[in-house]
Parts: sequence; structure tokens; C-alpha cells
Amino acid sequence: MEQPDPTIHQPVRLKIMAALKALPSGEALEFVRLKAIVGATEGNLGAHITTLEESGYVAVEKDFVGKRPRTLVSMSPQGRRAFDAYVAYLQEIIGAS
Amino acid sequence: MSLSSEEAAASLNQVEEAKRRSSQLYFYHRSSPHLILWGTIWIIGYGGTGLFPQFSLHLWLALVVIGVGGGIVLNKRHPDGRFQTGPYAWRMAALWLLILFFVFATYAILKPTDGKQFCAYPALLTGCAYVAIGLWRGLRYVIAGIAVVALSLFGFYQIDGLIPTCLWFALIGGGAMILTGLWFRTV
Repeated sequence: MEQPDPTIHQPVRLKIMAALKALPSGEALEFVRLKAIVGATEGNLGAHITTLEESGYVAVEKDFVGKRPRTLVSMSPQGRRAFDAYVAYLQEIIGAS
Repeated sequence: MSLSSEEAAASLNQVEEAKRRSSQLYFYHRSSPHLILWGTIWIIGYGGTGLFPQFSLHLWLALVVIGVGGGIVLNKRHPDGRFQTGPYAWRMAALWLLILFFVFATYAILKPTDGKQFCAYPALLTGCAYVAIGLWRGLRYVIAGIAVVALSLFGFYQIDGLIPTCLWFALIGGGAMILTGLWFRTV
């Protein structure tokens, strides 16, 4: 990879992808937990998730637990591949120096 | 757009930190219902042992079967049922069997001389297991483990009589597990 993936390159989106990558395949993370991990504001996190969703890197699902709405975010296979490639790119830079 | 090796290293550190936190929260979240289930079993087991000591062996055997069955049901509630089919399934089952074997083998080799020892030993073992898990997976388990060990030792040395001792262990062991499970749900 000569140029880093601009979608993942942004720091908040990189953290989102890393947090989702740590889960077993097919698992989703609740929006509130993702917010705690990434340390972003609700609006900021929502905007970055939308960007990742539009790129096909994450899937967003909304449901209800009782009467409480819940947003679940999971990583798509395409997102896993892109994230792995980005991490390999970072490791390559360190290895080359 | 290109990155220096320092920037790349900083990004990789951020990746590792986010993965560590995510993995930890996931573990807490998945542990929670199991802790509540085993806490309830613990209360019934120790409470029943204290009140009806003649039935304790049968009671505990029945409760262990319920606990293992309940654990499978809880995992099946998970959409893809990964824990039953993935690498965790046999490891979790083997771990429970190992702990049970260890407790009963210790009782066989080093026979307890009174009911208090019989009650205190599994509680101490559980508390130490919490601490050991916590060293790998998160501080909350360490705190819960230390609390269980401290309260177990307090009960062993400060409370007299089998029934009060069993009820103490029912309360602190089971109560600690349930509270820990509820605490993990808030993470």
C-alpha cells in the first residue's frame, strides 16, 4: 500500500476500527461502549461511524432493549481486510525505518 | 500523504490500546450473566448446606448440573452461538471440570476436619481465581477476588458454628458474584 486508506487513517475512525477488530467475527459493539473506548463525543462518533458505514467498513443495526433504543456497530469483512491492510502499512513504515 | 515512523508507531499504539479496551469490555459484558447465575447457585448451595447438611452432596451435584446447563443456555442466547462451537467451548467446560476435580481431590487428600473448612476452601479458591483472571483480563476481577478472599477469611476466623458459617459464605460468595455480575453490566 503506497498511500494509507484515507477512511481509516483519521484517528477516531482508526480507534473505532481497532475496537471492532478486537471482537470475535460477527460481534457488534453498542454505541455507548464504543463511545467510552474511543473517547469521542456522541455527535463526533456518529459522524465517523456514518463515514465508515458509507465505505462499507462497518454495519449499523438499531433495535430496542425493552423500551430503550440501542445502536449496534459491527465490522464488515471488507472493513476487516481494509483494517488489516492499514495495520500492515503502519508496520511496514516502522520496519523500513 | 505519507507517515513518519514515529507517527506510524503512535498510530499502532492507539490501535493496541483501543483493542485492549474493547476486548476487556467485551469480556466483562459476556461474563456478567454467568456470574449472576453462579452467584445464585452459590447462595442456594451454601444456604442449603447450612440448613440441610445431610443433603449437601446431592444439592451441590444438582446445582452444578443446573449451572453448567444454564451456562450453555446463556451462551445459546448469543446470536451466533460462538462459545459452543468455537475454541472457547471445550476450554470453558474443561476449566469447570478441572476446578471441580481440584476441589474434590483436595478434599480427598487433605480431608477437612470441620464444616467451616469445607465451606471456606471453595470460596478462597474462587476468590483467588477471580484475582488470577483479573491479572490477565481487567482490574474489576482483581477487586472482586480480593473482596471474596478477605471476606472468606473473616468468616472463617470470626464466625462460629456450621450454619452461620455456611450462611456467611452463601451471602459473601454468592452476593459478591451477583454484585460483580451487575457491576460488569454497567461497564
